[in-house]
Parts: sequence; C-alpha cells; structure tokens
Amino acid sequence: MTPPPYPASRRHFLTLSAATALAAAGCSAPPDTAASAGPAPSGGTRLTKIGLDYPFTQLPLYSTLVKLSAARAKRHGIPLLTTSDNASADTQASNLTTWIARKVPAIVSFPMVFEAAEPLAKAALDAGLIWVTYGGSLQHQSADIRFSFREGGTLLGEAAAQWAQEHLGGKGKIAFLTDNTIELGRERTKGMIDAFTEAAPGVDVVAREQAIDPDTGLSKTRAILAKHPDLNLVLGVTDAAAYGGFKALQQTGRAKDDAKTFVGGQDGSAPSLLAVKQGTFYRASAALAPKDIAAAIVDVPRAVAAGEADPSAEVPITLVRHADTARIDALLAQNA
Amino acid sequence: MTTADPALTRPRLIATGGLTAVRRNPLLVVLVVMVPVFQLTTGSFLDPANLSGIATDAATLAIVAVPLALLVISGYLDLSVGSTLALGGLVAGWLAGQHHQSPAIALLGALAAGAVVGAVNGFLCCHLGLSAFIVTLGMLTAVRGLAQQLFPLPLSGFGSGFAWIGGARVAGLAAPVVIAALVLVAGALFLALTPAGRHVFAIGVNREAAHLSGIHIRRTPFALFVATGVAAALAGAIKASVLDSAVAGTSGAGFELTVLTAVLLGGVALTGGTGSILGVLLGVLFLGGLQNGLTLLNVPTFWQQMAQGVALVAGAALAYAAPRTGR
Repeated sequence: MTPPPYPASRRHFLTLSAATALAAAGCSAPPDTAASAGPAPSGGTRLTKIGLDYPFTQLPLYSTLVKLSAARAKRHGIPLLTTSDNASADTQASNLTTWIARKVPAIVSFPMVFEAAEPLAKAALDAGLIWVTYGGSLQHQSADIRFSFREGGTLLGEAAAQWAQEHLGGKGKIAFLTDNTIELGRERTKGMIDAFTEAAPGVDVVAREQAIDPDTGLSKTRAILAKHPDLNLVLGVTDAAAYGGFKALQQTGRAKDDAKTFVGGQDGSAPSLLAVKQGTFYRASAALAPKDIAAAIVDVPRAVAAGEADPSAEVPITLVRHADTARIDALLAQNA
Repeated sequence: MTTADPALTRPRLIATGGLTAVRRNPLLVVLVVMVPVFQLTTGSFLDPANLSGIATDAATLAIVAVPLALLVISGYLDLSVGSTLALGGLVAGWLAGQHHQSPAIALLGALAAGAVVGAVNGFLCCHLGLSAFIVTLGMLTAVRGLAQQLFPLPLSGFGSGFAWIGGARVAGLAAPVVIAALVLVAGALFLALTPAGRHVFAIGVNREAAHLSGIHIRRTPFALFVATGVAAALAGAIKASVLDSAVAGTSGAGFELTVLTAVLLGGVALTGGTGSILGVLLGVLFLGGLQNGLTLLNVPTFWQQMAQGVALVAGAALAYAAPRTGR
C-alpha cells in the first residue's frame, strides 16, 4: 500500500494582521520582487498572482483549500494558480520549476521533501519571486506558514489520557493507528503516543499499527479486536484511520455511545466531526480550520509583498469535543 | 496408435484426489503452514471473530479478483479497478445519503457507473485494439479525476438502509462474504461449464487461433471488462456501506495492485491462457491471512512490509514452479 499523506497538523495562528501594513523594515522578500504590478496603497508592492502548490490533491482538504483560498484571493483582486502534483515529489519539482521560469510572482509551496525544495526556493528568490513555505521552514524563503504537527497529537493524547483516568480509573487497553512514513505523520504519532503514555501510564498499549485511511483503520482494528475484544481506546494519526477504527468497534457490537470506549483522531474531517457531534464514542478530533489556512495562503504572500516585518503565520489547531457544537458546525460549514 | 506416452500418463496417475489441487495450487501448502504458525504464535488467529474479520476484509478483494482473473486469462488486464471502486462507492453513497434513494437504487447506480467504465475499457481494448495496459492505466487516472471532480468532499451518513449491504448477516455470515462466495462459485462454474468459459482460455492462449475457430474474440473479453467494472463498483458500494463514508481521493487507492497480486499469486498467468478460480481464492485468502496475522503479532510497520514482500515473492515463485493449469 502506498498510503496517501494527509494534511498538516496546525497550531496557533499567531500573526496575520492587516496585510497592507506600512512597515517595510525586516521584510524577508527580496527587494526586486517580480511580484509587483505597482505599489500597494499602503506601500510595498501589489501581487498580481499567487501560486498555490499543495501536492496532496487526493485529499478532501485540497478542494476546500483551493476553493477558500481562491475566494479570498479574488476579494483582493488576485488570481490564484494551482499545481496538480498528484502527491508526486518529482511532479512537484517540475511544476515549481515551470512556475519559477514563468515568474509567478508569489509561490506558496508545501514541499513533499523539504531538502529537495531548498534549491527551488533559492531559485525563486534569486529570480525575485516570493516563496512562502507551507508546513515548515526552509533556509531560503520569504516567509512560512507553520503548523505544529506534534501539537495536534499531544492535544489528542492528553484528552484521551484524561478520559481514561476519569472513566476507566487509569486502566484499560489502547491501540494507536500511526504513520511513520512521512515527517508530519511521525510528529503527530510521537505527540499522540508520548502525551497519552505519560498521562495514563496504567493503560496497556496493545497495538501500534500503521494506518492513515479508513479501510486500513477498519481492518487493523478488527484484527486488534480479535485479540483484545476489551479494547477501550483507539487513537488515530488521522481522522480517516480513526473513523475506520470507530466502525470496526461498532461492527463488533459496541454501542455507538458506549461509555467505556474512546476513539479520537486528527484533521477535523467531516465524518469524524459529525460522529463527535452526535455524541458517539468518537469523542475528539484535533481539528484544523480550513478558513484559517486559506487566509494564511493568501495573506502571508501579500504581507511579504507589502513589506511587513513579520509576515509568517502559525495556524492553530484545536481539540473539538461533543460540547463544542458551535465550533463543529463552523468547521463543517467550511468543509461544505 | 494406442500406446500411452509415459510422460503424459504419470502426472495423471499422481494427480489424483487432493494431490492434484496441491500440485496445481502450491499456495495451498503455504496456507496450510501459515495458518497453524499464526495460530500458535498469536493464539487468536483461528478465533471465529478473527476468521470472520479476515473473510469480510477479503470479500471485496475476491469480488473483484474473480472477473479480473477471467480477464487476465483471456489475455487482457484492467488496472482501473481501484478508481472504479471509488466511483462506485461514491455514486452509491451519494444516491443513498444525499438523495435518500433506496439501497437497491443506490446499488444499481453504482453498478451502472462501473459498467460504463468497463464498457469504455472494453470498447477501447477489444474493438479498437488498444493496449489494455495503457488504456486501463489511463482510465485509472481519468476515473479518479472524475470522482474527485464530482465528489470533492467526503461523503458520509448513508443511512441504516444502505448499511445493510455491508453489515447484514445471511446465515450467520456477513453479507459481503456471501456475495463473494456467490461470485466465486459463479466464476468457477462459468469457467468449467460454459462454452464462453472455454473461449476465455482459448482467446488467452492464442487470439488468432481462437478467431479462426469461430470464437468471438471481442465479445467475451468486452463482457469481462464490463463485469470487472461492475464488480469493482459493487466492491466500492460495499466498502462505502461498511465505512458509512467514501472519499474520492483515497478510496480504493492502490487496490488495483492488491487485487492483481491476488490474481497472479493464484496462478493466473499475466500472459493469459492459464488460471483457476480456486487459485484466485487461495491468493485472496493468503493476502488476507498474512496481513491479519502480522497485525495480530504486532509486527512493526516496516517489518510487516518486508515480510509481506518476501511472502509475495515466495508465493509467486511457488506458483511459477507449479504446473501450468489450463482450467
């Protein structure tokens, strides 16, 4: 199986003030930015285009991000370009090279291989373009949009551990659905497992299985349940995998609202959010807000072009539980 | 001339009873070794709940593997089944969840979508003579793109009626397992008892000779392409029902390689002309059992991948060493 990666985990959205701030000092964009089509009203330069290079086109988040980012860019009169990388690092490199050659003024790129993106980012800067790194940082860049991959896992692990202490007396059995194939998966996995095992050391970890999609989550959890029918908790590195675990538990006869069962995942995907909202034993999701990400995709390159002192952004992630109805509704609306 | 050639009669003498099946299906030996090893090491491999889980997981694989095996025996190939599976699941889920159609209508919608994909594949490969490898590889991408364009967001909440397809129990067995059993029996009977089944072998062995013998060398493979598309869409609907959700970008991703692996492990030659449904069943059970056993053993991820790879190569070597079976 070549499992598809999943969207980045995201943390606190620190600074995205009005993108047309006057301050130019400390701007990380090159002074001869080709992005400009004329001065912005507040100083700096005005972008004529933004290129969004999000390689994981197979993910539902891709469509949502493109839709929300395009709408936000349009409000500023900026067309949004997109690549079609199909989760291929080679295709991504090729597309980015084309954009740099065509002098797309601002590129927001989520590198599949950060090391491989470094020379491309340098080439973009050398060509006078704006390069915004999505999901991490590069040595050569104008700014970045950061997410704490580990933070989402930690939030989920802590919440599950607290639940185990309160409802299982600190005992029970847990299975982790993990990902060790890409960096953000490893970060999420580590955050989730470390936080849980530290806060609930009495709970027996019976399995750590690679699973990021619902199918694999379902079959792995089924197998785990055959050996441990009294399994209490399933935590997923993605909501998709956790949802598979959720279904496996239900198919073994577990009531949807079983008081001794906890399933949780990461991403804030719609099926999981609905399950949380309905009060099932799918009790938590470390959720991202697509609107926040889309805002960063448009506003960070604009801030660079405008010459802001600190144009980078850190996107928040929040743990969503059954009581957070308004938050769930807002996230579902963004995904609609 | 009535003198029998010893070289021809000896294998017949040896190949009586179960020994024939073992010789022709070396995976049987692998399974006979694998099952007790997993039971002894895990203590729960043969538990009814676990066997039921393996059977349910393997059911969708078997449903697609049977018509695909027939297609491969006839000398063709369909690499688009993973995307067709996704499209089928999405169409069924969309009809059941968003349009509140009955499970039967939802299922029929999925099957129709699969039939269209299969018909396009069949027309291009059988009637226009294009390479099945290239055509279905292209369709793998095109159908995935179509599914993502039509259903960019995940679908979920298909209702309790639709859940019946994947969750109902018939005579104590999960509905997908019963469907898979029916497909396996139908495939075996088709190959063994019908003229069209014999034509499948004849076309796979030598298309030109089959044509000269009066066999419709286009009609049968075309029908098999359609059947494969329908089966993939059915598998997609079952998966959507079991998971109560479907995602265009990831549903069935990589499924085409898994199902092709099961078919080839089962002794079906990629060059066409040989193979059996029993072999396909063994290939499906081998893959399902291996995956399940390694999970039960809590084998770390990368070791699991290595073990699966080694097992697949070993299984393929055994299948290669076995005598070729025409039927």
